[in-house]
Amino acid sequence: MIFESLRRLNRAGVLGMNGRNADYIMRYNPRSLFPLVDDKVLTKKLAESFQIPTPAIYYVVDRNGDVAGLREALRGVCEFAVKPARGSGGSGIVLIRDCTEKGYVTQSGEMISPQNLFYHISDILSGIYSLSGLEDRAILEALIHPDPVFDAVSYQGVPDVRIVVYRGVPVMAMVRLPTKASDGKANLHRGAIGAGIELSQGTTITAVHRSMVVSNHPDTGNPVSGVQVPYWEKMLWMAARSFEMTGLGYTGVDLVIDRDRGPLLLELNARPGLAIQLANRKGLKERLEKIDQAPPEVFACPETRVEWARKTFD
Amino acid sequence: MKRPALWLALFLFLLTAALLLYRIVWLEYPVFPTAPGKAWQLTINARVFSEAGEARVLLGLPTENPGRMVVEERISSGALTLGLAREGSNRIGIWSGPVGLEGDEIVYRATILIRPRKAPPEQPPGIAPYPDRFTREEIILAERLAGRWKGLPPSERIRAIAATARGEWKNPPPEMKDLAAWKDLGRTHGREESLLLLLRAANLPARLVEGIPLAEGIQNQLLSWVESWNGKNWDIILPERGEAVSDPATYLPLSIGGIPALRISGGGRSDIRWSLSRQIVSRWSLHWERIRRSTRFLDRWSLFQLPPEFQRTFRILLLVPIGTLIIGFLRNMIGFPTFGIFMPVLMALAFRSTGLAYGLGIFAGILLLGYAVRLGLDKLRLLLVPRMSVILTLVIACFTLLALTGNKFGLREFMAVGLLPFVILTMVIERFFVLVEEAGIRAGLRTAAGSAAVSIIAYGIISWEPLQLTFFVYPELLAAVAAVQILLGRYTGYRLSELFRFRAVGGSS
Repeated sequence: MIFESLRRLNRAGVLGMNGRNADYIMRYNPRSLFPLVDDKVLTKKLAESFQIPTPAIYYVVDRNGDVAGLREALRGVCEFAVKPARGSGGSGIVLIRDCTEKGYVTQSGEMISPQNLFYHISDILSGIYSLSGLEDRAILEALIHPDPVFDAVSYQGVPDVRIVVYRGVPVMAMVRLPTKASDGKANLHRGAIGAGIELSQGTTITAVHRSMVVSNHPDTGNPVSGVQVPYWEKMLWMAARSFEMTGLGYTGVDLVIDRDRGPLLLELNARPGLAIQLANRKGLKERLEKIDQAPPEVFACPETRVEWARKTFD
Repeated sequence: MKRPALWLALFLFLLTAALLLYRIVWLEYPVFPTAPGKAWQLTINARVFSEAGEARVLLGLPTENPGRMVVEERISSGALTLGLAREGSNRIGIWSGPVGLEGDEIVYRATILIRPRKAPPEQPPGIAPYPDRFTREEIILAERLAGRWKGLPPSERIRAIAATARGEWKNPPPEMKDLAAWKDLGRTHGREESLLLLLRAANLPARLVEGIPLAEGIQNQLLSWVESWNGKNWDIILPERGEAVSDPATYLPLSIGGIPALRISGGGRSDIRWSLSRQIVSRWSLHWERIRRSTRFLDRWSLFQLPPEFQRTFRILLLVPIGTLIIGFLRNMIGFPTFGIFMPVLMALAFRSTGLAYGLGIFAGILLLGYAVRLGLDKLRLLLVPRMSVILTLVIACFTLLALTGNKFGLREFMAVGLLPFVILTMVIERFFVLVEEAGIRAGLRTAAGSAAVSIIAYGIISWEPLQLTFFVYPELLAAVAAVQILLGRYTGYRLSELFRFRAVGGSS
C-alpha cells in the first residue's frame, strides 16, 4: 500500500520536503541572498528599482524611542497596516481601517488605543515576530483595498496570490482566500482556502481547505473555481521579474490586487511551502524538471519566460 | 552533486572497517564485545574471635597469571589491621589486632576472570632436593617403588603415581614388604606428603597446593591437592580420588608450595567460608582489565584508560550521535514533528536520572503550566528577553518545588529534576505557544507528542547497555554513524507523512 502511494506521488511529480530543501532551495537559493527577502523593507526598496509596484511605505520604525516620528507619520492617516519587517506567516500584522477619538479601529472592528498600538510596535521591534528572534523593524504601509473579484469567495481580509517561480519561470500559482476560521488571514495553516490557478488563463480551478479538496467557500458557500484573476499577465510578469531582482532561483512570490493600484508585490519567500501542489492537484517536480529541459532562449527575459510558462503549463 | 557525499560516506565506512579489523585481528579484541566472559565472584567471610583478646589471621588470596585476572578486590577488615604480603609466589592477607569473644568480621571479595585460551606460559620448574622430614630409608623405599615407571612419559608417570593414592600399583605389584612399608609411611606423613615424595623419587617437579574447586558453591574447608609438572603445565592430582586432571581452570589455588592458606595465631579461632558464584555484570571490567594491562598504542589511547567517573559520561555521550541520527531518520524519512533537533536528545539524557515515567510526567506538567502562564503573559505585552526570562524563572521555580516535594516524600526522581534541560524546556514552552497560536492546538499537541515519542526512542537507545559497551570498546563506530548521517542528508525522497498529505494530488489523475 505504501509502495502504491509512493508510485502514485512519483508519477504525479509531487515535490516532497526533502527534495525541495536539498535539490532546489540549497542549490538555487544561496544563503547570502536570504536577507533580501527576509527583510520586507529591503524587498520593497529593491522592488521599486525593478519597476515592481509594492504597497506604499508611510514610515519605518527602527528604534524603540521613535514615538515622535511615528506620531508625525500617522498624522491624518487613518488607514494603514503595521507589519514586522522580518515577520513570517502573517504574525504580528495589524490592519487599521479607521480612526476615532478613542483610538484606531482594526480591520475586524476592534478598538485599539494609540497606547496599545505603540506597545505592539515595540513588541515588533523587540523581535517577537521576527524569523530569527533578532531585533526587528516595524513597517507602516498603505492599507490594501482588495479588488472585488474575490469578494464572493472570501471572508473579510485580503486574498493573496502565490506564484512559485523557478529560475525566473512561473511554475504554479494559487490564490489564498481568507475564511472565518482563518480570522480573515490568508494563511493556509490557519484555515484559509487555497485555490489553484490555471497558469495560462488565470482562472481558478480546484481548491484545498485543510488538505481536503473543496469546491465551495465554507463561509460564503459560493463555488471557488472558475474565477478569472484580473491583471493575470502583469502578475506573471512581476513574479518572473523578481528573479532578476533577488537572484534567488526558487521562490514563492506573494501578490495582492488593490482595487486602485492593481497588482502589488507583498513579499517574497525563499522557502515556499508545498501546499500549492494540493491546491492545484498537480506535482511541482514534474514542472520543475520541464523548466530544466527548456531551451536557453526561454530564460532571456521575464516576457519570454512568462510566455513559455503559459504555453507549457496548462 | 550527490557524488562527494557518497564518497565521504564510503570513506568513513572504510575507516571504521579498517580500525575494527585492526583491533580484532591484531589486538585480539572480541568480535562481539558484549559476549559475557567467564567471571567468578569470590567471597571469603571469616569471623575471628579469641579468648586471649588478640588474634592474627593469615589468609591466602588468589593470584594473577595470564589465564586468570583478579579484579575489583574489596576488603573489609572490621577493627583489625590489614597488611598484604608476598610469600613465595603467594599473596597473603594478614589481619591482626584485638578481638574479643564476640568476634570481628573479615570480608574479602574479588572478581576473578578466567581466560581458558591463555594458558600460563611458565618456566619449567627445577626439581627440589628431598625435604628433611623424610628419613634415608623412606627415600630409598620411594626411589625403589618409583623405578618401575622409569620408561613412561611424564604425564603418564603422573597418572600412574596418582593411581597409587587409591591403592592401584598395576602389574607387577611391588613386593608385599615394600607395600606394607609404604602404607606405614602414608600413615606417618599423610597422603599428600607421600605423593610428593613418590613424585620427587620419579624425578617429577611437584608441589602442594591449597584452594577451592572452581564451581558455584560454599566451602567451609579448604581443599588440598598435589600438582606435578608434566613438561608443559601443572597437572592436578586429587589425593582422595587418586586422579590426575589437566585442566587448570577447574580449581582455584589460594596458596602454593605447602604453605597453609589459612593460619591463625595469637589464640584466635575463626569460622570461615569461601563462596564462589558466577558473575554476569563484569563485561565492562573484562575489557577494562585487559586494556589496562596492554601496552599497544590503541589500547593506551582507549576510553578505558580514563578515570572511571569520566568513563560513565562517555558511555552515554558516544550514543548521542545515534540519537540524533534516529531523530534525522524520523523527521526526514517518516515526517515526525518535533520541537527542534536536539530537544528530544537532551530530554532523553535527562530521563536517565529522572526515569522515563517521571521525566515525561514532569515535562508534560511543566509544559502545560508554562503554556498557561505564557498565555497570561501575552496580555502583559512583555518584551522578548524579559518574557523568556519570566518563563525560565517559572521553570526553575517548578524544579525547586519538585525537588523540595521529592525530598519530603523521599522521591529521588523528583530531586533529580535539576538535570532536566531547563533552557530547552523554556524554549519548548515558547515554541509550543507560538505553534498553538499559529497552527492551532492540534498541531501543538501533535508536535509535543512527536517530541515525547522521539525522546523515548532516543532514551531507549542511549540506555541500551550492549550498545554502550560496543561503542565504548570501538569508538571508531562514530565514523560509521557519521557516514549514515551523511547518506540520510542526501535522501531527497518523500517522507512517509507526505504520502498521506499529498494523497489528493495523485489520486484522480
